[in-house]
Amino acid sequence: MTTGQDRAPARTLAIVGGGASGAILAIQAMRAGCEVVLIEKRAEPGRGIAYSTSEPDHRLNVRASNMSIFAGEPSHFADWLKRKSIRQEDFDHFYAPRGLYGDYVGETLRAAPGRLRIVHETALSVVPKPLGVEIRLTDGNTLRADAAVLATGHEEAASSSRPYAVKLGSKEDTPLDPALPVMILGTGLSMADAWLSLARRGQKGPVIALSRRGLMPMGHQGHAPIKLDRADIPLGTDLTYFVHWFRGLIRDVERRGGDWRDVVDGLRPFNQEIWRNWPASAKRRFFEHTKPWWDVHRHRMAPEIRERIFAAVDDGALRVVAARVREVEPDGEGGWRVRFQHRHSGRSETANVARVYDCGGIVSDLSQGTNPLIRSMIASGTGRPDLLRIGLDVSEACAVIDKDGQASDRIFAVGPLTRGAFLEIDAIPDIRVQCEALAKRLVGALAQGNRSA
Amino acid sequence: MVHLAGLPAGDLAFVGEIAAQNRIPKKFLDAILSELRNAGFVQSRKGKVGGYRLARAAEEIKVGHVVRVLDGPLAPFPCASRTQYEPCDDCDEATCQVRHLMLDVRNAIAEVLDRQTLAEMRATGVPELGTPDALVAQAAAH
Repeated sequence: MTTGQDRAPARTLAIVGGGASGAILAIQAMRAGCEVVLIEKRAEPGRGIAYSTSEPDHRLNVRASNMSIFAGEPSHFADWLKRKSIRQEDFDHFYAPRGLYGDYVGETLRAAPGRLRIVHETALSVVPKPLGVEIRLTDGNTLRADAAVLATGHEEAASSSRPYAVKLGSKEDTPLDPALPVMILGTGLSMADAWLSLARRGQKGPVIALSRRGLMPMGHQGHAPIKLDRADIPLGTDLTYFVHWFRGLIRDVERRGGDWRDVVDGLRPFNQEIWRNWPASAKRRFFEHTKPWWDVHRHRMAPEIRERIFAAVDDGALRVVAARVREVEPDGEGGWRVRFQHRHSGRSETANVARVYDCGGIVSDLSQGTNPLIRSMIASGTGRPDLLRIGLDVSEACAVIDKDGQASDRIFAVGPLTRGAFLEIDAIPDIRVQCEALAKRLVGALAQGNRSA
Repeated sequence: MVHLAGLPAGDLAFVGEIAAQNRIPKKFLDAILSELRNAGFVQSRKGKVGGYRLARAAEEIKVGHVVRVLDGPLAPFPCASRTQYEPCDDCDEATCQVRHLMLDVRNAIAEVLDRQTLAEMRATGVPELGTPDALVAQAAAH
């Protein structure tokens, strides 16, 4: 070895999943001097589920001014938009199309310094070895690296508990007569996306969107988050106590002429810490009861999108109901007869629809997922689901924890897969911080391994 | 809390017992314990065999989190709080260097208190901090 005073030679990091999280981590790791192997089956890395859409109405839910890949270079995305002559100013009020954001991540990845190899395959397993990790791919090949990071994101398949429902834009979503009625399961941001796509396809038939509570996301407006310190925030309490404090704070701020959004946004830097410190009982109760309310206030729509959705509700093109599906049977004409029960009246109603779309959010049991890698990790005990089974159990440092509670020194995870530990880790402003910190730790650890090798 | 942390797992302590051992008024202790119960740090059971115990392992409870519940936002001065802010009488808060310094001080306080668990506090037994009566007396002083 001839390192001397030089930086240790780059070591190899395998990243499984080349959506936005995987690509951002790759960029950070390359900047820090790693060689990266990115395993992504899609043709274009950096897009994943979220940024593969070509629908111009599918927008970011975060202002362009806060969407830089680099937390330390906040204008990086805005500068890119300027260079591309897409927009010159007012990035605080610009919610970019998500496909465009995918372009930005992909270009930034290609321009990143260092060595990157992209393997268009699906990983089947990651096995820790004495000198690193071994990754088996669907084509029968095996990859070796010094460490691996899983960035496989959200579940892609429609819920297996709703075999009649399809994902919008999937191959099951075949052309449909726009005059026919359709149903959307879910009333959140994915529902809004689905409705916008249907509208673009010329949907004329009625659209029913259905969820347990029938809550729709709020819209963005203004931006003046209140300033909070950690010392202000009750940590480690029961959920009821926390919610009481939070509502009180909103009341105070509104009395002084502020807006609830200022409080929700002011709390944002502490959300992960609040979550981490809650007792298991508070986490469970939050997921069961509070999360739908939190989500519609926290994850808001671009104002112009919200206006369109609400106009559709007003003119009857989109009907939103709080109900549960009770029974689904084929209607004999290729569609479905769906019986659902209204939440408040308890009344039953039946609708005949040509198609049911699954926009039911992203909460699902990890071990029931379709990702072969995650399944194999849980089966072999290399990883385990977190307390709520919404992701992989990871340490604060993103190390995957095995079935015996041991944190790995060579297998890590980022992005939505780590929701159990961090809760809010599906938006870029959170993911970029997580990826940068992990890349720095990894490079430090790998360099140390080099010296001792 | 430290008193409760010293109990064998599952045992309950009577309010009267804690009050007597730590020489604090029972009424006052009642108020504290009910606050702590509301926040989910202690559990109570009523009746003859009733009493209080920690709701979680002492290793999982951070001292700073308990203090926030009893005293509100950690703040050395009323003006050095964001949520319960009260300006001083003769002071322009935007340019007040003392306030800026005090905001740093409170962040440092949070840093220290949020690191310390109840279990560690019990184990170290620092005389002026670690004994149960000193903790409650401190709480009482606020």
